[in-house]
Amino acid sequence: MTNYRVCVIGGWCGNRLYMVAEHISEVLEKAGYPCQVKSHSVWENYSQPPVSNLILQLLPAFTESETGCPVITIRPLLVDLDHAVTIEKVLKQVQADYIA
Amino acid sequence: MSSQIYLDYCATTPIHSSVRESMLRALDVSFGNPSSMHWAGADSKQLIKQARADVANGIGCLPEEITFTSGATEADNLALFGMLRLFLPNQAHLITSSIEHHAILHAAQRLERDGYSATYLPVDEHGLVNPEDVRRAIRPETKLISIMYVNNEVGSIQPIQEIGKIAREHHVRFHTDAVQAMGLFNIDVDDLNVDLLSLSAHKIYGPKGIGALFVRAGTELTPMIVGGPQEHSLRAGTENVPGIAGLGAAMNLVRQHRTDERVRLLGLRKYLIAGLQAIGPAVIVNGSEEHIAPHVLSMSFIGADAEMMLIRLNGEGIAASLGSACNSKSIEPSHVLTAMKLPQEQIESTLRFSLGMPTTKDEIDTLLDVITRVLPRVTV
Repeated sequence: MTNYRVCVIGGWCGNRLYMVAEHISEVLEKAGYPCQVKSHSVWENYSQPPVSNLILQLLPAFTESETGCPVITIRPLLVDLDHAVTIEKVLKQVQADYIA
Repeated sequence: MSSQIYLDYCATTPIHSSVRESMLRALDVSFGNPSSMHWAGADSKQLIKQARADVANGIGCLPEEITFTSGATEADNLALFGMLRLFLPNQAHLITSSIEHHAILHAAQRLERDGYSATYLPVDEHGLVNPEDVRRAIRPETKLISIMYVNNEVGSIQPIQEIGKIAREHHVRFHTDAVQAMGLFNIDVDDLNVDLLSLSAHKIYGPKGIGALFVRAGTELTPMIVGGPQEHSLRAGTENVPGIAGLGAAMNLVRQHRTDERVRLLGLRKYLIAGLQAIGPAVIVNGSEEHIAPHVLSMSFIGADAEMMLIRLNGEGIAASLGSACNSKSIEPSHVLTAMKLPQEQIESTLRFSLGMPTTKDEIDTLLDVITRVLPRVTV
C-alpha cells in the first residue's frame, strides 16, 4: 500500500512545513508504513490540497467534508517535531487505514 | 477576491500623489550630483536644501541638524553605533527597552558582542516603559538612552518627554525612534528633550529607502559610512536626491494633516474595537487604553489560529499583519507581546490592524463582516 498519500498542510512557515513533512515521512517509514508524503502551503496557494488519504494540518485550513478524507491537526509539531501524542494519533490513523 | 483593503500602514504606506510629483520632478530635472560645482549640481543641492528645511520644520529643529540616511534602520544604527563607538567598550553603557524595533535591539546586541554593556528595560502589561526604571538604570558610564516613541506592534506611546528630562538631569544623550509617531503626532524635539531622533519616509506616504536622523547641534557621533563629506561628514555617499525630495514632501503632507488625522483615526479605531468586541468575548485589545497611538490596533482572538485568520483575510482582499514570526525551527512569538507578559494563547492569536490616511469607515465595516464570517473557520 505504498500509494497511501499523506498531505501536510502549512502556512507562511515554509521551512517548517517541509521539515514536518520530511519528519512525518521518516516516522511512517520507520513504523513500517511507507507513504507518499506531500506538502501544501495555503499561504502560497490557497486552494484545495492534492487528493490524499490523510490530511495533516499545522493550521485549521480544511475540514473533512472539504477534503473527503480524515484530517488531523498536528499543530504541536510546530514547536516539537516528536510531540508524542500527535505522532501517536497520526500513526493510529495510518495503521487503521492500512488494516482496512 | 473582493475589493482590496489595506490595513497594514505600520508596515508601510502607499506613496501620496504630492510625494510622487515631487519625486518625479527631482528625477526629471535635478539629475546633477549635489556635490558638483556647476548648475546641474546646484539644482540638486537646492532641492536637498529645501527638503532638509521641510523635514526640520516637521520636528522643530534646525535644517543642519538633519542627516539623511537610507531609512530608519540606518538612522537607528547610526545613533547607537555612532554614539557608543566614540568610547572604549568598557567605558560605555546603553539603556534601551525590550520592545524596541530590531534595528535597535540587534544593534545593541552587536555592541554587547563588541564589549559594550546594555540594559534592556522591561515594560508593563500595556507595553509601557516606566521612566523611574530608566533613572535607576543610569550608571556613571551610561552614554545613551534609546526608547522608541510609539511601539509598532501594539501602539503604546512611551513617556518620551519624561525620559528625556531624566536623561538631561544625568547628562546622558537620548535617542528616540519616532518612525510610528511621525505621521500623527506634533513632534518638537525641544519639547521632547531628545538629542537624536530617527524617522522614515515610507511610513508617512513617502518612498522606501530614505529616512533621517535628527542630531542635536553639539552631539558628536562616529560615522558608520565614510568616503565623502556628504551629510555633514556623518553619512558619506552621493545623496538619494529623489528620495530626499520625497521625504521632504511627505513631511509637509503629514505636518498639514496629522492633527485632523489623529482625531479621525482614533474614532475609526474605537469603532473597530467596538465592532470586534461585539463579535464575541474572546476578543482582547492589547496595549494601553490611554497611551495608545490612534492608528495601531493589536487584537487577540482567543482560540483562533492567527496565521490561518490572516490567510483567510488575505483571501478576502484584506491585508493585516501577524503578531508572531516564523524562523526555520519554530514559530517565534512577538518579542513585544512576550515582554508584556501576555499569555501564550493570547500571543499566538494576535493580529495587528493599522490604519492610515486612506482608511474609511466602509473599509472597517467590510473588515468586521469578513472577520465575523471567518472567525468560526479558524478556531484551533
